[in-house]
Amino acid sequence: MMQWMTGHPVSVFGLILWAAGILWLMPGTKIAASRPRIPGLVMSTLGVLALCGSAGAGQSDLAASFLFWLFAVGALVSGVLMITATYPVYSALWFAVVTLCTCGLFVLRSAPFLAAATIIVYAGAVIVTFLFVIMLAQQSGAAGYDQTSRQGKMATISAFVLLGAIVMAVQTPAAAGSPVVAGDAVAGDAVAAAPAVSNPATVANTLSLKDEQHEVGNLKGLGRSLFGDYLYAVEMAGTLLLIACIGAIAIAPRREQGTL
Amino acid sequence: MGDADRFLIVGAGLFVLGAIGFVTRRNLILMILSAELMLHGVSLTLVTFGHLHATNEGQAFTIFTLTVAACEAGLALSLVLLLYRNSGSLDIQLWSELRESDMPAPAGGFPKEEPGTEPRVSPGYDGLPRLTPAGRVPTDPSRSSNASASTSVRT
Repeated sequence: MMQWMTGHPVSVFGLILWAAGILWLMPGTKIAASRPRIPGLVMSTLGVLALCGSAGAGQSDLAASFLFWLFAVGALVSGVLMITATYPVYSALWFAVVTLCTCGLFVLRSAPFLAAATIIVYAGAVIVTFLFVIMLAQQSGAAGYDQTSRQGKMATISAFVLLGAIVMAVQTPAAAGSPVVAGDAVAGDAVAAAPAVSNPATVANTLSLKDEQHEVGNLKGLGRSLFGDYLYAVEMAGTLLLIACIGAIAIAPRREQGTL
Repeated sequence: MGDADRFLIVGAGLFVLGAIGFVTRRNLILMILSAELMLHGVSLTLVTFGHLHATNEGQAFTIFTLTVAACEAGLALSLVLLLYRNSGSLDIQLWSELRESDMPAPAGGFPKEEPGTEPRVSPGYDGLPRLTPAGRVPTDPSRSSNASASTSVRT
């Protein structure tokens, strides 16, 4: 761990700066006059930039690189603003921004259909229903419990220890002979240079693999994977939706006339 | 390792932000939204791994994640509506009465917001399940003084 910390000082610096920004923005345990939000925002943004910038530029061209920075910084900073906003309506709207930026990242990872589906499901359905409930329940603005937080310092510090562990695991080169490297027949640093096409002999779900007609992420390939390899799972997902629908109707309170 | 690293770090960052939000926020709806934020991070990681290995499996998994997230949002919203109906507030702290009786109060020690926002169950409300009384009433030394809370829970 010390080796990683001395080898990646920019990552450690970004993590600490980001955590400090969240701690600055987090409302305290008592209702008080809010601090100015700009310093926390600047700290969070610089931390995110340092953390993502330390991960190596890769071989992407300028446009893809610009789009990555736009969407990544947008998603992470909007997430920070979402969990620290004192008005729940603002939180829901920042969550919509996070969803849009995540869908942009999906497109960059060649998943255009998934991006469209996520926007439709989240921005179209989930956020609208959540905003509906917030506006039904809190018609008089922010309540006292929205302006305070529970255990903000402990939660932030422990969560960033977890994030540091994940970043360390990502940035540590894979040891030779680990299962991923052996299965893909490529070594360590070459994974990104040559996208590892898995050996069909070692993969159970051969319909999901990429070939000439079925690129990764287009509708043809994704449909072949879903309705070929995962047909039973699709049926079970449909059943799950039906059961959840029945359950939601059964749990929701009966409505008296003219009330919630 | 190159390009995939950055996406994995963004996914991990979204997950961690959602975890912080779930623990620290006191609004029921915002807790659920934070859980959805964690699911975004997981989806981004799955898609990145699928791209790295050049299969469609990551995206197929993400579609199932999306399905389960939609189910979860629907069920959670109906539960939140039920809790709001019973307490008149979206504060999670009001439901700390549901903890085991020998557990300490939740850390932080928040004062009550304003009097009268404790979970109240109207006596004529028939939406809650009614259990047939059976056996003897268990003795609860720590709550014997707090009679109003125990009756509201038992009703």
